[in-house]
Amino acid sequence: MDKNSNIDIINNKLSDFNVAFLDNEHNLILQIDQADFINVCKILKTDSDLDYSMLIDVCAVDYLTYGEADWTTNDATNSGYSRAVKQTIIPEADETFTDRFVVFYQLLSISYNKRLTLKVFTTESNPPSVPSINKIWNSANWFEREAFDLMGIHFKGHPDLRRILTDYGFIGHPFRKDFPTNGNLEVVYDEEEERVIYQPVSISTRPSVPKVIRDKNDRK
Amino acid sequence: MGLTDKNNEIIDQQGPGFLTTSVDKLVNWARTGSMWPVTLGLACCGIEMMHSAAARYDTDRFGVFYRPSPRQSDVMIVAGTLVNKMAPALRRIYDQMAEPKWVISMGSCANGGGYYHHSYSVVRGCDQIIPVDIYVPGCPPTAEALINGIIELQKKIKAEESITNG
Repeated sequence: MDKNSNIDIINNKLSDFNVAFLDNEHNLILQIDQADFINVCKILKTDSDLDYSMLIDVCAVDYLTYGEADWTTNDATNSGYSRAVKQTIIPEADETFTDRFVVFYQLLSISYNKRLTLKVFTTESNPPSVPSINKIWNSANWFEREAFDLMGIHFKGHPDLRRILTDYGFIGHPFRKDFPTNGNLEVVYDEEEERVIYQPVSISTRPSVPKVIRDKNDRK
Repeated sequence: MGLTDKNNEIIDQQGPGFLTTSVDKLVNWARTGSMWPVTLGLACCGIEMMHSAAARYDTDRFGVFYRPSPRQSDVMIVAGTLVNKMAPALRRIYDQMAEPKWVISMGSCANGGGYYHHSYSVVRGCDQIIPVDIYVPGCPPTAEALINGIIELQKKIKAEESITNG
């Protein structure tokens, strides 16, 4: 079964829904409307011709600074990267834009040895949310908790959506592009109180100088 | 007359605390001969720590014998990245150790944050949380480097004069 016939099968099974394949050389990426998401997932798992029985991973992507100039490396040889050094501030108007967060799901069909990537945009930006697929694939439980912890995606219908990795009482979502690299708090031991306390972070950010020198910008 | 002069000479040579310094040496010999570390492998340094304890390097030759409980331990080897979430637990383990106690900080992360110095979740050196006696550099340090750190700590303990001064 080659790639195109796999596309045909999926298109055939999901003809009732608003889905689209994205161009990708190596693997299939299926973009799904959030309204259809749960129903599409049920079909992908239960249909005997598809049989995507295994959920490999769930990850979230923050497109806030996607394509911005400080990620280009042409002049970085001389100046160093500024990425993640300046704190990114979201303009007020942009807080509602819906294309900021995308959640990706990696599926595997064990019986057909096929893989499929699902791409779902979150509804709103504050808080961004998608439906939980914990009831369809149980492995989504901790994946969704991780995405919630680090990216702040709310998975509607998750049975136990709380932080999984960061410190107790942690504020913010560290993988978001507007989270400062150094964080906001650090811990030290207080001799007088005889306990470990939190205090505002004491170090400042610095530009990192790339070690790779590209062909086009040899030392000027 | 001659006898007293000789005694005075001995006291002049050895200093007034001849007996107490000898007891100090005995105590330090006992302490350096059985430094039991609390098992605290936090990251990849923990693997090198295990190597140092296993058959090839065998720190048991120095009486260094890993204990699962802080209450049975003399030395804490902080082997690996200390994160903010772990810091209160580390301090609690240190407080539970019986005196006298020493700390070896093993590897770049424990020494000063290392690779994760600018991270939002990592303590920039375990000396922010507990007092450290010996810093072992490396990322991770080899088992030999850790053993060298243990020997340096033995030298440091041998120089202590707890009976004489205490």
